[in-house]
Amino acid sequence: MTLSEIFWRNIVVLPILLPFSGALAGLLFSKHGRVRAAFALTAAAAALGCGLTLWGMILESGRPEVFQVGGWPAPFGITLVADPLSVLFTIMSQIVIVMGIVYAMGAKDSCVGYPPFYPLFLFLSAGLTGGFLAGDLFDLFVFVELLAISSTVLTAISDDRFGVEAAYKYYYMSQLAAAFLLLAVGTLYVAFGTLNLAHLADLIAREPARPLLPAALALLLAAFMVKSATFPFHFWQPDFHTAAPTPVSAMLSSIVVKLGIYGFIRMTTLLAPSGEFPINSVLIALGIAGIVFGGLSAVGTYNVKRMLAYSTLAQLGFILVGIGWGTVFSMTAAIVFAFSHSLIKSAMLMLAGYVASRASVKSAAFEVVGGVGKSLPMSGVLFFIGGLGLVGVPPTSGFVGKLLLFRSGVQSEHIITLMMITAASIITLIYTTRAFQKIWWQDRSESISVKPYGDRLIAPAVLIGLVLLLGMHAEPLVRAALETSRWLMSPTAYIQAVLGG
Amino acid sequence: MEILTAFAIGLTFAAGLYLMLRRNVIRSAMGLMILANALNLFLLSSGAYIGERAAYVTHLAGRYSDALPQALILTAIVISLGGAAFVLAMLYIIAERYETGDSDQVDGLKH
Repeated sequence: MTLSEIFWRNIVVLPILLPFSGALAGLLFSKHGRVRAAFALTAAAAALGCGLTLWGMILESGRPEVFQVGGWPAPFGITLVADPLSVLFTIMSQIVIVMGIVYAMGAKDSCVGYPPFYPLFLFLSAGLTGGFLAGDLFDLFVFVELLAISSTVLTAISDDRFGVEAAYKYYYMSQLAAAFLLLAVGTLYVAFGTLNLAHLADLIAREPARPLLPAALALLLAAFMVKSATFPFHFWQPDFHTAAPTPVSAMLSSIVVKLGIYGFIRMTTLLAPSGEFPINSVLIALGIAGIVFGGLSAVGTYNVKRMLAYSTLAQLGFILVGIGWGTVFSMTAAIVFAFSHSLIKSAMLMLAGYVASRASVKSAAFEVVGGVGKSLPMSGVLFFIGGLGLVGVPPTSGFVGKLLLFRSGVQSEHIITLMMITAASIITLIYTTRAFQKIWWQDRSESISVKPYGDRLIAPAVLIGLVLLLGMHAEPLVRAALETSRWLMSPTAYIQAVLGG
Repeated sequence: MEILTAFAIGLTFAAGLYLMLRRNVIRSAMGLMILANALNLFLLSSGAYIGERAAYVTHLAGRYSDALPQALILTAIVISLGGAAFVLAMLYIIAERYETGDSDQVDGLKH
């Protein structure tokens, strides 16, 4: 077998395998920081390339790539499924991860220099893409655990002296989420005797009245709610995202929470698409609560990073509402919104960290960074564009997402929900302008000094550039999301592709 | 036997959750470990009453038992072991930094 044959046969595994091997190779070079970073960047970029190649493959063939690990046919073996949703989310997370590594390479934090930093970063990437590509629930659990442990360690080694406390709190929450997920796994196994997602979906569609199924779905919903930090389970998130080192918190608040969103989409479109269980209305209610509560909390915070973490709660609310409406267009809107939120939020967190790295004390609290931005106009411009993206003003990709969401709401006549989220989205404008005004507009007081050096600005600049590009030339992203949501609306195609026949 | 197993697993769950909610950080770490064991027992019970003979043993008569839950538990045990070691390491640093074992006093992030 030639090398290219091996490559094409195993391409579905590569987005998981490449970060893994990059991490292991990086661990060998414990004395050379540059080499580790180069390994990490190469592995992440290669994984992004594989994601894009996979997207081209499934677009051409019109059906997902299915990989049976070890050659055991589904539903008996371990299955990896690269369907449009998985691949789109993989591409999204790999773009942000590559930029996160670029930011870490130019960051002044001392934790970036620790030997395990880049390997852990790559383990985070592997856990995330593994979660997106996993074709059965137990694999999902394993990858979620990998993700939870690597992100906890990355926060625990933060320069912030409260890093360990935040990591400790988060770890308890994620263990609770893992417990919910394992309970759901056990319950579904008792009820249906399988854990393969496609097989489960098939069996659930045939026999939705099986006992234990509502309990299993509720447990699964709870697990994803903790993972995505939606409304009642969000309380760990601001602490955790504030204390993490900047490159890591940019990952946590943008793509790591999207694993829960991915889970919600899979639940509503594959596992229980029939509407017999009130999952969709639960998602809408949680989404609205998140938008209002997250927005109001973001207005009242004392720290930029914390503000952005609360804003994630609000922005994820819009995505949940889009998923909850459940039409092709609202799902398209949710996917576009998720994609652009990942880019915008990671860029804005990097900018907050950039300003904090210039402040005299390394902190993103308003009283420390207030006025620091006045001598850093470039970062101010980028933050302002990012803020416009969060609010949903053209020409940013945030505008495209919001426009699609509101149009789909008008089309499916959810007028009351629509009014509520429109009113609440004005809050976004308040907190982003407040942060901009406090950091880049007002004069700094005598006691605050600005360091002449700090983190590099290249990663957030590229991300904001992408946001503008996708805002002015939105067609590729919207078309990809539309393809994806059309695909999601026919779960039988997924089941057939995995199980065959 | 099934009723007894169910009650035993329920009791383990209750003990784990109760300990996990204690203010003492060591106790709550122990609660986490007990909870992980309760989950493993629950997974084990999902395959315990299917079949009469051990899987992969050929000279016995009767239906094969289901070996998959055991494979799942093996993975879950490894993960929870790593997690427990990690929690204890974090607690060591917390005890050193905050000089307390009371989780209510580990509140540096609360302003």
